[in-house]
Amino acid sequence: MLFKRIYQFLIVYTISILFLLMIKMVLSLSDYVIPGVPLIIETAGQVFKTYFFDVMNTLSITVLGQFMSIIMAFTVGIAGRKSSWIGSFIKVTAYNIQAYPIVALAPIIFILLGDGFISRLLIASMICYFPLLLSVLGIMATPVEDVEHFYIVTGQMRWQLEVKIRAFENLSKLTTVISGSATLAMAGTIVAEFIAANAGIGYSIRIALYQSDLAKILIALFVIGIIISMYQGVLETIGEQIKTKWSVSNQGEVI
Amino acid sequence: MIKHGFLVRRYIVTVLLAVLILATPCYAKEIKVNYRLKWLFNTSVAGDLYADEQGYFKEAGLMVNIKEGSPEKNAINELELGYANFGVASADQVIRALDKGAKIYVIAQLFQVNPMQWIYRTDQPEIKTLQDLRGRKIGVTFGGNDETIMNTLFAKAGITKNDVIITGVRFDFTPFLKRKVDVWPVYRNSQGVILENKLAREGEAVYFFNPADFGVNFVANSVITSETMLKKKPEIVEKFLGALLKGWEAAMNPENKKIALEIVKKLDKGNNDEIRRHQLIATRDLIKPFSALKIGTIKANAWKQTEHIMLKEKLIKKSVNIETRLIQVK
Repeated sequence: MLFKRIYQFLIVYTISILFLLMIKMVLSLSDYVIPGVPLIIETAGQVFKTYFFDVMNTLSITVLGQFMSIIMAFTVGIAGRKSSWIGSFIKVTAYNIQAYPIVALAPIIFILLGDGFISRLLIASMICYFPLLLSVLGIMATPVEDVEHFYIVTGQMRWQLEVKIRAFENLSKLTTVISGSATLAMAGTIVAEFIAANAGIGYSIRIALYQSDLAKILIALFVIGIIISMYQGVLETIGEQIKTKWSVSNQGEVI
Repeated sequence: MIKHGFLVRRYIVTVLLAVLILATPCYAKEIKVNYRLKWLFNTSVAGDLYADEQGYFKEAGLMVNIKEGSPEKNAINELELGYANFGVASADQVIRALDKGAKIYVIAQLFQVNPMQWIYRTDQPEIKTLQDLRGRKIGVTFGGNDETIMNTLFAKAGITKNDVIITGVRFDFTPFLKRKVDVWPVYRNSQGVILENKLAREGEAVYFFNPADFGVNFVANSVITSETMLKKKPEIVEKFLGALLKGWEAAMNPENKKIALEIVKKLDKGNNDEIRRHQLIATRDLIKPFSALKIGTIKANAWKQTEHIMLKEKLIKKSVNIETRLIQVK
């Protein structure tokens, strides 16, 4: 899973670079507009190490922001799974708030909280929180009647069991959503850094943009792509392992 | 009856043909030109807008589409890609592009004094020498030309990064207003006026720190075009520049202040009349610092100094012989 993602990214990246080089060649553009291969390699030599640490800095915020989002989404999702008035209220509120473009709030966050760690974390978690919440709400509010019926009629159903059944039955979906939300969290962090932060790869991209240095931007995109692919691959692998272990332990109980 | 109807139709056709014949040459003569500015529509581009609104471009047989700029929009890229025929770029952009093989020429230098300056409150000691920068909390835009200018000033004064507190800044003035940064980079004629006005309302006065006063003449916005345009269509370049500079001369003439402000007001919705009035005065001081100066004059020495600074700061790999890329169109 991990290597598959990296290979996929490398293929897409290479095709994109080839496409840019083709445009450069056809339109006879200078290295200022689209850098040639030697300049890209030279720039990589100069900035790769710096950008790697910048991406790791961004990733640390991403992971933390995503973790916060997952906790929040599951807490609210579990609370809102019921068809009671509070459940309906949570669902309606979540659907309405998620329709608002969170990025538009970023300048206000930066004015109030400054351009440090907290602002980046807040924006990253807000951007990936709502899509996560909607998926978790959808999963948690949908009964798995075949399984749940047994526990309900035997009087053994508790909320913890209900959550567990629904999570287990939709584990693939949850893994995909969590893995996908990593991209959102990363995008959120980069946008936050791009707008106002003083650290991270988004900030470095902004500096490169000031200098109209596409070679630097291409290197930044490469490092981001590789690292986010690895992170998503790791998340998917963890999801697979949890699923396998859970299946085995459940089988054990049944036997 | 039939004859009458025929005559009416013939009359209508004749009139339509006459209109068509009269109208066609005047549109056919106008050559479409795209002009990409460096920044948003405000008083900084008063001359460009003036030339358009007062019909100077039209008189020259040009239909100019003035396109607003922004940090993400780059006139040099657009020249190469063919989206623009003329553009405005700062000297550092031009020199960087030449270093990477771009085929462009500078045909006029709009700002004779760089508007990139630093603002600070008068309750702080005045910066009379570069040594007065020591110990200050100074804002710079990392990657921007203000960083290059400040580094040059530090080098000139023998100041190291340990002698000052450098903070990266953006468009949001909050750190300056909250006094987290003492010396804040601004475009003297736009943000500088806004901040000065804002602080004046709080009873605070300001100074501006101008690097040119300390011998650092880093060239700012200039009009550029592509090598192809200059070589293949020199007559269009001449007409465009003639009309453009006529617009700038008129807009910077205090007698035309009212018209210039009215023109800018139509497109600049972000500022009020009072701010725009002050911005126009500040812009005039930077574009036409003394009345005898012809707007658009290219200061070759300042360009050479800018190139030298960029070489020293390792922002370019080799000399681009900037003087060969400066064409003072008559």
